Amino acid sequence: MSTSTAAAVAAASTPAQPTGAHLGHTPLNIDSLRDLARKELVNVLDSVQGKKGLVLDPNLSGPLSLIAEFALLKDHGVEKIYHLQPGPLETDCKNLIYICRPQVNYMKYIAEHIHTHTTESRSGAYTYSLFFVPRRTALCEKVLEDEGVFGEITKGEYHLDLIPLEDDLLSLEWDSTFRELYLDKDTTSIYYAAKALMRLQGIYGWFPRILGKGEHSKALCDMMLRMRREMAVDDLEASQTTQMSQNIDSLIILDRDVDLVTPLCTQLTYEGLIDEIFHIKNSFVEVDAALASATPAQSGPGGAGSSSSATVTGKKKKVPLNGGDKLFGELRDLNFAVVGGLLNKVAKRINADYEQRHNAKTVPQIRDFINKMGGLAQEHQSLRLHTSLAEQIMDYTMTDDFNRILEVQQNVVAGIATTKEPDYIEEMINKQVPIVQVLRLLCLYSLVNNGLKPKQYESFKKDILEAYGFEHIQTLENLRKLGMLTKQVTTKNTYALVRKSLSLIVDEVNEHAPNDISYVYSGYAPLSVRLIQCVVQRGKDPKTLGGGGGGKSSGVAGGHGWRGFEDVLRMLPGRTFDEKQRVDDGQPMSSRRMNGQPRISLVFFLGGCTFTEVSATRFLASQESGLRDFVICTTQILNGNTLVDSLVQKVPDLQTNA
Amino acid sequence: MHFYTNFVQFYSLLHYRKQEIYSMLWKQVDLSKYMVAAAPFGGPLGSFQLISIANFDEPRPLLLADPGINEPPHSWTVIPPKFTLSRHVEVLLAFNSTILVVDATEARDERLQQGPFTKMSISPDGKYLALFTSDGKLWVVSTDFQKNLSEFPTKSQVPPQQLVWCGTDSVVLYWDKIVLMVGPYGDWIKYSYDDAIFLIPEIDGVRIISSEKCEFLQKVPDVTESIFNIGSTAPAAMLYDALDHFEKKSPKADENIRSIRLELSEAVEACIEAAGHEISHQYQRTLLKAASFGKCFLEIHNADSFVEMCKVLRVLNAVRYYEIGIPLTYAQYQRLTPEALIDRLISRHQYLLAIRICEYLKMRTDRILIHWACSKIKKSNDDEDTICRMVVEKLANKPGLSYSEIAMTAHKAGQSKLATMLLDYEPRAGDQVPLLMSMQQDELALVKAIESGDTDLVYHVLLHLKRKLHLAEFFKVINKKPLACSLLESYCKQQDTELLKNFYYQNDQRVDNANLLLMESFQQKDTVGRINKLKEALKLYQDDKEHVFEAKAIDDSISLLRTQVQLEKDYSQPFIGLSMSSTVYKLITINQGNRATKVQSEFKMPVKRFWWIKLRALVEIRDWDGVATLAKSKKSPIGYEPFVEDLNVSLFSWNVYNSEIRDKCPDGVIQGQIERYMAELTSSR
Repeated sequence: MSTSTAAAVAAASTPAQPTGAHLGHTPLNIDSLRDLARKELVNVLDSVQGKKGLVLDPNLSGPLSLIAEFALLKDHGVEKIYHLQPGPLETDCKNLIYICRPQVNYMKYIAEHIHTHTTESRSGAYTYSLFFVPRRTALCEKVLEDEGVFGEITKGEYHLDLIPLEDDLLSLEWDSTFRELYLDKDTTSIYYAAKALMRLQGIYGWFPRILGKGEHSKALCDMMLRMRREMAVDDLEASQTTQMSQNIDSLIILDRDVDLVTPLCTQLTYEGLIDEIFHIKNSFVEVDAALASATPAQSGPGGAGSSSSATVTGKKKKVPLNGGDKLFGELRDLNFAVVGGLLNKVAKRINADYEQRHNAKTVPQIRDFINKMGGLAQEHQSLRLHTSLAEQIMDYTMTDDFNRILEVQQNVVAGIATTKEPDYIEEMINKQVPIVQVLRLLCLYSLVNNGLKPKQYESFKKDILEAYGFEHIQTLENLRKLGMLTKQVTTKNTYALVRKSLSLIVDEVNEHAPNDISYVYSGYAPLSVRLIQCVVQRGKDPKTLGGGGGGKSSGVAGGHGWRGFEDVLRMLPGRTFDEKQRVDDGQPMSSRRMNGQPRISLVFFLGGCTFTEVSATRFLASQESGLRDFVICTTQILNGNTLVDSLVQKVPDLQTNA
Repeated sequence: MHFYTNFVQFYSLLHYRKQEIYSMLWKQVDLSKYMVAAAPFGGPLGSFQLISIANFDEPRPLLLADPGINEPPHSWTVIPPKFTLSRHVEVLLAFNSTILVVDATEARDERLQQGPFTKMSISPDGKYLALFTSDGKLWVVSTDFQKNLSEFPTKSQVPPQQLVWCGTDSVVLYWDKIVLMVGPYGDWIKYSYDDAIFLIPEIDGVRIISSEKCEFLQKVPDVTESIFNIGSTAPAAMLYDALDHFEKKSPKADENIRSIRLELSEAVEACIEAAGHEISHQYQRTLLKAASFGKCFLEIHNADSFVEMCKVLRVLNAVRYYEIGIPLTYAQYQRLTPEALIDRLISRHQYLLAIRICEYLKMRTDRILIHWACSKIKKSNDDEDTICRMVVEKLANKPGLSYSEIAMTAHKAGQSKLATMLLDYEPRAGDQVPLLMSMQQDELALVKAIESGDTDLVYHVLLHLKRKLHLAEFFKVINKKPLACSLLESYCKQQDTELLKNFYYQNDQRVDNANLLLMESFQQKDTVGRINKLKEALKLYQDDKEHVFEAKAIDDSISLLRTQVQLEKDYSQPFIGLSMSSTVYKLITINQGNRATKVQSEFKMPVKRFWWIKLRALVEIRDWDGVATLAKSKKSPIGYEPFVEDLNVSLFSWNVYNSEIRDKCPDGVIQGQIERYMAELTSSR
């Protein structure tokens, strides 16, 4: 029964502030992307006359809520929203619009809906429209045909690709990409990524330089170059009139499998930890309703609006986490170690601001204060949210388990080898902690050490199968195929070499005033972001990457690319490439900056990236003192848990049918 | 001042003109026998039901609401979706004395009394509806029937043969050899003809085709009127007049220019625009000359619009030429777009003119060349090599031109060799695929699809091949194409596991096949079926020396399953599906410690793990005696910290638990910890 009603989805669609208010504050005007998506959605809805029911792919309702709020859907005739799931769909809406990813299982659900409607001898009573995101596929149409419902459905496309999460963060929000690309070797997402990037180029101009690392990245780059050539066939004018981009001077594409270590490490930035503990989905996090709205009396300095403190526990509420929340904007990229202090400072300041009301004697002074009140209340609300989030995170980070796992991780990554680490992993298995946590640590251990020793490998595999079930033969096979959990064949450890040449381990980290990206993991610099650093900070000796301030920034377009780092790159999987794009009229690449605006590097993570990598990249930008900015594109946001979980074999619950 | 002789003035101050576009050469044709009919958005069915098809590319008939009538409507018309409030197509049916408005959801009766309406017509902007009432009135009403615009008694009981709009202001009615135009304020004019004629409504007027000539009846465009209206003092009229004086060498020219100094720029633009609206070359030229003359007095003037208009006029004059015979007005051309004009020329096989126009307007000539090549192939009797050379020569210097359509034409014409030759020139891998498929070039189609990187295209070919070929052949084609293989795997996992098994078998991917069986075992409802599947998987693993470990594991899993079946029998509790650890855990929680120990030794579970499980299970059921016994039984292989931790976690029954463990503890640190925990617990109570 798909009975999730409008209210359930609407909750996601009606955050406190209008969606997207935090966008569009940079020269690229990212908000325009959102507007386009919004307009197209309206066209989709208007294509069906009258009142209608919307049946959404559960994986799309989040992304869509970033595009349009519920009121907009309602304005365009949507009466009810359902999630697309198996089982019959009972609805009193006669016009149904399905919006979903082109997936075979969804086609079957839809067919089932139609079949039940038909057998209820009400055929013809319903009309069905189906919009594929981002495009219709032969495969899905074949399934609809096989199911005998092809003719019943009006089919269309909704070209939703890169969704702006922030001014500097775009995501395809395609959660299964990592598994599809690297395990199933299904390259569909490369094609979609190429399409999306071509669309960006259509808006912002050709990217003068495309660099990257990894097999799939190379395929993406080649596909983009080919699409540009082929574009001349469809639309010569556009292909000729599109200029070189004035703002964006490079696109850096990185394969996720170039750096699998980073996502496996526990994130330590504020946003990263929220994601690890609460799981941020489509930039929303679910917290206790009490946390987000009600006003606990004791924490209200000045007591503004602290009358209703009736807290309902156990109820969950979705809260948006984005740059619209100023305080969050300040906190998100910081190492969690300093968050507490900062919150304290802000609390004091807000308190002081409230106290000003006592100084307000004259009428104009009082008026000034009243004017400030709205802002204060908002700040206050956000402070309360983040204080309690931070408290909960603190509870978690104080636990013994957390600290032991962290210690093991840090030792493993730093290559300080003892027997303690494998022992601890074994203990975790014995204690039956969730398999994802075990595998996360075990994979990290295997990746860093270039595999496990044969005996160790066998015994861990045996332990896991016995503790978690034999279906994980497949899980282990998946991890083996990806090279995440393997048997050691040579003692040569490439990771150690990479670690050394790119200074991934930095001993002295000042979390309060960081001077290197390694602050995000309290001493480990994410490899992926180091690679970005290689490209944008010219003239840096690889040895000095870890220490000191930013290197000399340069125009990537005319810069050295990967030069100086060839040896390291050779040790990492996949091809390294560096392509230049030109326009025919010989117009020189825009190496000059346009009216003092920073040059922008687009970074594309193929297979997903973590919030921490986003933070580290932002830190790189801050080191460039306004000369360079980064915009990060990714196929999805992931963390170690979601990454490993996507590889774990699931089986139906066997208990039911003995 | 020139006078526009063919202006017709209504007292409403609207001017109309009727110009001859060209004379007919086909005088012998009797037009009264021909009717032109089109129903672009739908048409009535036998049962007087309506069906609409919104899109011919993917036609999907949509049954509109049942109007509930039992005889044909007196007349009917369609309001295109872009003009309706709902943005969906609406059909107006004249039935009895009223009008029914039908769309997909309902048939609404407008409850009118003036019918039956024998003729109706929608204005080009979709706002107004012209109706011919039973008592011979022309009635104009807004399409939502809210606003009554005008009523005009024609004094004719006979309905007109045609009722069309002329622009958006007036309506033209046609009875046998009489044309009556009715203006918005009830003003009218009548034209008589010797023969039958036919009216063709256009967006800006009406074309009147008689056996002698083609005329165009339109409202005089505003700019034209401002220039040519008698006594007009509009700046453009002054400028036009100034040119006249200038040519007569009269000083009044200067006077005129001075008087409009400030509005000169707009006068120039007006003359340019007016030139566009002229059909006569003479007037075009004079108006452009006037514009050009006015430009001389302007310091800064952007001549783009002038140049643009000259270009457009050249194009329009070219297509209006009688041998081409496309009587487009400027307004129609603007609406139609140059691309559509080119399409019309192409379908008339006017390739040379089309190419010239494209080159002149800097448009792409691809479509023309492709169409040309296609018709060449269809008509030519030369051998395939000659045709290929001919086509390629013509198209050679057009980079990026798509050959797939040409190749497809050749293929359809049965010249497959030619098709293959041409297809080689296609720059886009993806576009070659459909043709290659229909040319039975299966493997090549697959290769090209893979090359395109478009996985859906690959699926397209794969599904096609799977339908068409024998399994063995099919596997042979996709073999050694990694992307095709992995896509087939993904597809099969969701749709067709049998095919996948076959595929693995063919490719000798035993491990994958074994894992597939393993997963299938979990889908089995009964234990016997499950064990059978596991045995199949086991066999596959045993065949492979590399996978001794997996073979052993599956063997273990079978034994575990059997044990669990026994346990379920013995304790009437569900066990099947639990892992080995969970099985032991569960046994302890149901107080079957001895059985747990038995299972442990049967499966050689490491002692350490067993202790952990036991401790956790005992704590869960709060069996503190059990915990104490365990702690005392022998030296703990997992140390005593876990005992302390679990005590701490459970915060329960501390007094039962204390001294024995503390005494057992080997080092003082932990003893101290226990004491501290106990102190904490005491204080919190």
